[in-house]
Amino acid sequence: MHRLTGPGLSAFDRHTQSQRSYALLSNQLSEKQIKNLHSQLSSFRTALTSFAVTHRDRIQRDPAFRHQFQQMCASIGVDPLAGPRRGGWWAELVGMGDWAYELGVQIVDVCVSTRERNGGMIEMGELIRVISKLRGLDKEKEKDKIGFGGGGEITEEDIVRSIKTLEPLGAGYQVVDIGGRKFVRSVVKELDQDQAAILALARAQSGRVMEEDLVSQHGWTRERARVALENMLLRDGMCWVDAQDPNGSAYWVPSAMRWD
Amino acid sequence: MALSTHTTSTGYLLPSIHSAPPFFTQQPNPTTLSIATEQWIRLILGYARHRKLFFLRVEDAETPGNDWDEVLRNERINRKLLPTYLSYILDTMVKKNLAAYEPPKQTRAVLLHWRLPEEWAEALHEWATSTGQLNSILTFYDITDPPLESSLTGIPIPLLRKAIAILAKTNRAQIITIADGEGVRFFTGNK
Repeated sequence: MHRLTGPGLSAFDRHTQSQRSYALLSNQLSEKQIKNLHSQLSSFRTALTSFAVTHRDRIQRDPAFRHQFQQMCASIGVDPLAGPRRGGWWAELVGMGDWAYELGVQIVDVCVSTRERNGGMIEMGELIRVISKLRGLDKEKEKDKIGFGGGGEITEEDIVRSIKTLEPLGAGYQVVDIGGRKFVRSVVKELDQDQAAILALARAQSGRVMEEDLVSQHGWTRERARVALENMLLRDGMCWVDAQDPNGSAYWVPSAMRWD
Repeated sequence: MALSTHTTSTGYLLPSIHSAPPFFTQQPNPTTLSIATEQWIRLILGYARHRKLFFLRVEDAETPGNDWDEVLRNERINRKLLPTYLSYILDTMVKKNLAAYEPPKQTRAVLLHWRLPEEWAEALHEWATSTGQLNSILTFYDITDPPLESSLTGIPIPLLRKAIAILAKTNRAQIITIADGEGVRFFTGNK
């Protein structure tokens, strides 16, 4: 009988010992392989990133080139559209990520469903709050699980970027700055100078605007103030009227009122 | 000024929109008007259910000192629901079957359906069953003012009639003429 595989109790010991060494060796080998793969992957990432950056404009502008780029990504098993938002590579560099689109859909959803309440102007903070509620926590966890950018909460920057991706649709979504506060506008019509001035004033006065305020603070004629306010009230539905104010008709802008 | 909810002296929680001054004016923009009216209807029915109020009249908005003061007025911001707007709201409610003009053929007072007549019919039949009064003849008074208070205590006769009529359609009740007026008899029946 061979010594190493000979009978006797010690053979069992030998057997387990050699198994253990094999396992150790295999671990070391696969670790090395993984490390190799990682470095390959990261150099690949860098290459692809620099490629995406260099050809960014062409990828965005030239459909044929974009198609080839996508095919190249597909052939190496990478989906350029399955884009994360942070820590992500090409999707972000090329400026097209599903994440941004998905968020875009939610922005449209919120803007449209609250439009009749706020006349198509929603405050940035409010929008973020509603969308965060809409997304819920579970969904975010799921995202983390498959390795997408963590964090979870939506920032103002995300909204701004996402609205940019909506631009080609011509839906007229825009971020506007009124009196130092950001609003997302979803009404197609242009917000003219006068309306912007009224909204800014409404913000400063907790929502209430009167003809008199515009005359005294902006030097408008009474006519101009009345026309602008009546337009907002009747045509755009952006404000409510209060006929019981002791000083005459008062106009209230819901999106500028503070609700507890 | 922040708009906040408010609990009335009868313990009803008014929504924050009730402290917004323009809420008390009839809005000229049709979209805005329908939103505001929707809010008013919800508020009126909620309050009626809370206080078991069955009637709402245009007069309630005209003169203070009635059950509806807490809702139709907001002293804190010095606003009150204008009678013309209330009459528009009542009209909308009647169109949506959330109220019925009572008495009929006028538009100044309504009977509120904070429970639909169909729901009242079920409640009525359940009460008759659980108190063991099936098959016996009851006067309307027995129902509206029973010795043991029930969810039907104080139900207005016109509403009671509607509920009985609904039950009669499925043979679960029958109006009977008795010596001093009318009575009703309930049967087991199935829905």
